[in-house]
Amino acid sequence: MNTTSRIWRITGLLSAVSTVILVLGFLYAVKDIVQPAQGEEQAHLSQEFTSNYPPQGNNYDVAAIGDSLAKGTGDDTGAGFAKRTVELINNNSNESKLINNLGINGLTTAKLIPLLDEEGVQYSLRQAGIIILSIGGNDLFDGNSVVNGGDLPTELDLEAAVKKAGENLSKVVEKLHQINPHARLVYVSLYNPFTEIEGMRDIGNKAVSSWNLIAMEVMDLYEGSLIVPTYDLYMNNSARYLSSDHFHPNGDSYQLIADRIIQGLAIPHK
Amino acid sequence: MLLLIKNETIKMIRKKRFYVVLLVLLVLVPLFAYAQLRESESKREKFGTDWRREVQQAITDNQNSLGSDRVPEEWKKYRKIYIQQLKYYLEHDVNPAQPGGVSFTREFLNNAASLFIPLLIMGIGSDIVSSERTMGTVKMLLTRPIRRWKVLLSKLITLLMFVSLTVVCTVIICYLISGLFFGYGGFNMPVFTGFQLNGSEVDMSTVHGVPQWKYLLMQTGLIWFVGIVVAILAFMVSVLVRSTAASIVIMMAALIAGSILSNMASAWTSAKYLFMVNLGLTNYLAGTPAPIEGMTLGFSLAVLSIWGACSLVVSFLVFTKQDILN
Repeated sequence: MNTTSRIWRITGLLSAVSTVILVLGFLYAVKDIVQPAQGEEQAHLSQEFTSNYPPQGNNYDVAAIGDSLAKGTGDDTGAGFAKRTVELINNNSNESKLINNLGINGLTTAKLIPLLDEEGVQYSLRQAGIIILSIGGNDLFDGNSVVNGGDLPTELDLEAAVKKAGENLSKVVEKLHQINPHARLVYVSLYNPFTEIEGMRDIGNKAVSSWNLIAMEVMDLYEGSLIVPTYDLYMNNSARYLSSDHFHPNGDSYQLIADRIIQGLAIPHK
Repeated sequence: MLLLIKNETIKMIRKKRFYVVLLVLLVLVPLFAYAQLRESESKREKFGTDWRREVQQAITDNQNSLGSDRVPEEWKKYRKIYIQQLKYYLEHDVNPAQPGGVSFTREFLNNAASLFIPLLIMGIGSDIVSSERTMGTVKMLLTRPIRRWKVLLSKLITLLMFVSLTVVCTVIICYLISGLFFGYGGFNMPVFTGFQLNGSEVDMSTVHGVPQWKYLLMQTGLIWFVGIVVAILAFMVSVLVRSTAASIVIMMAALIAGSILSNMASAWTSAKYLFMVNLGLTNYLAGTPAPIEGMTLGFSLAVLSIWGACSLVVSFLVFTKQDILN
């Protein structure tokens, strides 16, 4: 009888206490969801977070930002030129890692500008010694629509697109430079993915070359920046170097682009 | 009356049903904690100790899936909110996945709220009446000079006591065991709550930070309410069905149907009146969109309360009227 009494007393007491706590928690939760407490603003960003640059000396860490090319779409290994570049630097017996691949499929210059205001994006870019940018392709061509037989853009359309995106590009590059003035900025220039398509070959080539000229002018304003040409790769070889979507590069050509990035950066051998 | 409850409590303890629940927790929680540990280790390999880069990569990856036409619209809804949440954490310099016993417990409860804990409670509740029938002891109980409703009420109160104990024990066991893996800290880490989806836009106006211990308290409170309703439903089934096995199967089927329905019934909106779709109360706290359009906390509480009240009425009516034959 003694033990049953004890069991009863302990369980009874424990369950009563738990029930009271749980009911309080329940009421508190309901109140908090239905009438959210206007919580005091949390401390916004520690100092260390906003102004933290890693030592710049031999910083070969890579951040990639921009469109699907930066992301590596079309590369069956998923690596893209960002990871491939990191691998190449490491093979050259220098230390490098991929900070972040911030490429987003379908990104245009106009959408990239607000992205650069995000604090997480800025944080990543600040960690990098090399920033690889790829943008502009989606401003000029709607790849899906061209490949799938949609309406082709006219020469005038393309000219207008180049002009508008060019203005955005100079803002983007200026911002990137503001965010991280120490990093080396690499711009992967455009190619014409539609050399096989009648009616896109000539006007496409023209638009791409005038775009690349604009990009070069913009990048030339900043010391240590680099333009990587890709135009020639797909001129006569699009079947070999484009992936199955006839728009993005395949693994092989991402590797070629990464090779070119390394060549251009002139990273010393150890 | 108190004596009856005491008697039922002793029976519950003696039948070791509650120990089974504890044992299940003691076996499963270390497994989950270990899995979590391995996952965070493999992440650390890729991102080092820099959680901000990891969070930023998660944001970018989710943004990429938003652009894909192959991703269903409902998933995009979840991901949109998820992206906003991550951005908010990043902007406020709070690691959303700060490893720690408290964080693990919070995550675990989030995942356990709509299926795991209801299953445990069902395990206790399903046989509380039917076992007396299966064993034939119900006759003994009813030949006493006590009104039938009192007998049933004492069983119900005992069951509810054990629901509280189960929920609290889950939290404590989870905290103690995961603390071994991740350390015992994290009570004051802020957790942001109040994210709402307005159409396709995420409404941030009500977002506010809550210390994690408070968040945990709110979570367990909501889970407790779910547990009470599940217990009452299991109780009714236990009164209606003679065999314990059958009553467990019925409740289990209902609960599992709920988790399947919440995953695919977004087109069938009247499914929101079913109790099993409304068990995920903690989602309202976390800001995860409800599985079906038009569900709010108030709505879910109302649906659950109505189901609970109805099953109480049914249980008492049936138990006081029914003939005990075997």
